[in-house]
Amino acid sequence: MMIDHCPTVLIVEDEPLVRMHGCDLLESAGFDVIEAQTADEALDLLERHGHVRLLFSDVDMPGSMDGLELARRVHLRWPKIGLLMTSGHHRLTPEMIPDHGRFIAKPWRENNVLAEMRAILAS
Amino acid sequence: MNGSNAIADPGDWFDGAPCGLLRTDVEGCIVEANAIFALWTGYNREVLVGQSLPDILPISGKIFYETHFVPMLRLQAHFDEVALDFVRADGTRMPALVNAVELRDRDGRPQEVRLAIFRSTDRRRYERDLLDARARAEESARAERATSKLREEFIAVLGHDLRNPLASIASGMRLLAKEPLSDRGRRVTNLIDGSILRAGGLIDNVLDFARGRLGGGIVLSRDADAPLEPVLRQVVDELRAISPDREITANFAFNRSVDCDRQRLGQLLSNLLGNALSHGSKDMPVRIEASIADDVLTISVTNGGAAIPPETMAHLFEPFVRGRVRSDRDGLGLGLHIAAEIAKAHAGKLEVTSDETRTCFSFTMPLNRSVNAGVPHSE
Repeated sequence: MMIDHCPTVLIVEDEPLVRMHGCDLLESAGFDVIEAQTADEALDLLERHGHVRLLFSDVDMPGSMDGLELARRVHLRWPKIGLLMTSGHHRLTPEMIPDHGRFIAKPWRENNVLAEMRAILAS
Repeated sequence: MNGSNAIADPGDWFDGAPCGLLRTDVEGCIVEANAIFALWTGYNREVLVGQSLPDILPISGKIFYETHFVPMLRLQAHFDEVALDFVRADGTRMPALVNAVELRDRDGRPQEVRLAIFRSTDRRRYERDLLDARARAEESARAERATSKLREEFIAVLGHDLRNPLASIASGMRLLAKEPLSDRGRRVTNLIDGSILRAGGLIDNVLDFARGRLGGGIVLSRDADAPLEPVLRQVVDELRAISPDREITANFAFNRSVDCDRQRLGQLLSNLLGNALSHGSKDMPVRIEASIADDVLTISVTNGGAAIPPETMAHLFEPFVRGRVRSDRDGLGLGLHIAAEIAKAHAGKLEVTSDETRTCFSFTMPLNRSVNAGVPHSE
């Protein structure tokens, strides 16, 4: 299996500042980042980009579905994509996330975000 | 029988009875009716004799007579406290309570039926009132549950709506902090970080308090495998970062996983530390100690400054208790109350000692829970 030097992460978050922060944090850590504001945008991007390695998504979002539903669909169609969920409101356990994905609470502790991501990509 | 209860013949138990009396044959045909029954129902006695008893019952009574009354009498020779309505001569209904016996001959063959009839208008009204009261109580309970659910949902949405913009500001601050800033700029961002932290803590405390008032109490999300010490360290680091002029020392003397709700214990420490920074002397250090001994976890926060007055000590862990000094950083006075609730939820306790040299808040919690005997601890 080829090791990505610059793995692509899709960040899905409707709050602009939070999304900017996420992009900035991930790019500084060496990830390649594409972003979406809603689940529908995310699915659209996934159709077009073949090499997303990890989905980093908020739970509550406007639009036709929330982050958890997005995670379910992504896992169904692209089972190799790692799942990291985040929320300021809900607290999710791995059992609640498809494929026993991981969860990080907001506000983000930057080290923890990166640690969770690396753990997912390593497995 | 006239209205004055004067009895023609004192030995006449039949007509002088304090209730209606009827005799019927085994087919249900009325053979004899006493004066009271005639009076209550408005029929002449001559009219009653020869009538079939079901004829003076409403349809529901007729059915009941065939399906329950007669079979019971055949079966056990008596049927007591039967609620039966009679139809009066004027067509109105007379609610009644009936006792009946079936007399049999030596060979056990039914001979006649004797009935005692008591009017039960009052009793029926009483029963109806009871049923109405119960229905109202059930409806009230249902409405209360619905309201409670609505309040719970409101709190959940409120928490979410309050935390969202705050998370946005926090993210924005992280981005700004990476930009080149003057010394003043950096001071400003630091102060804003402090406000964000305090606002977040306040939202957590207020929502916990509101939820607790609905009878929920603090619900824990326990994890026996996760290490506690990093969470506590992070709390200290955050508060240190926003209080650059204060000396805060921390000594964490354990390094193992603890079966607890880490986020909640972090909130407990944050509340105690915030309290120490608000009320303690600014010139003296605030010390945090955490250790495990004899299967008991202890987390303590100590500050210097004036002793807590005795009258405040008694109410310290109640909600809305505010210190007399310095109202600007007091918030709602929920921090200690919520910390005490978190302690309780963990089957631990929060205690305080205070004198002129130091004030110390100490949280202790037994590590082994007797119910759900936990995951074996691993280092």
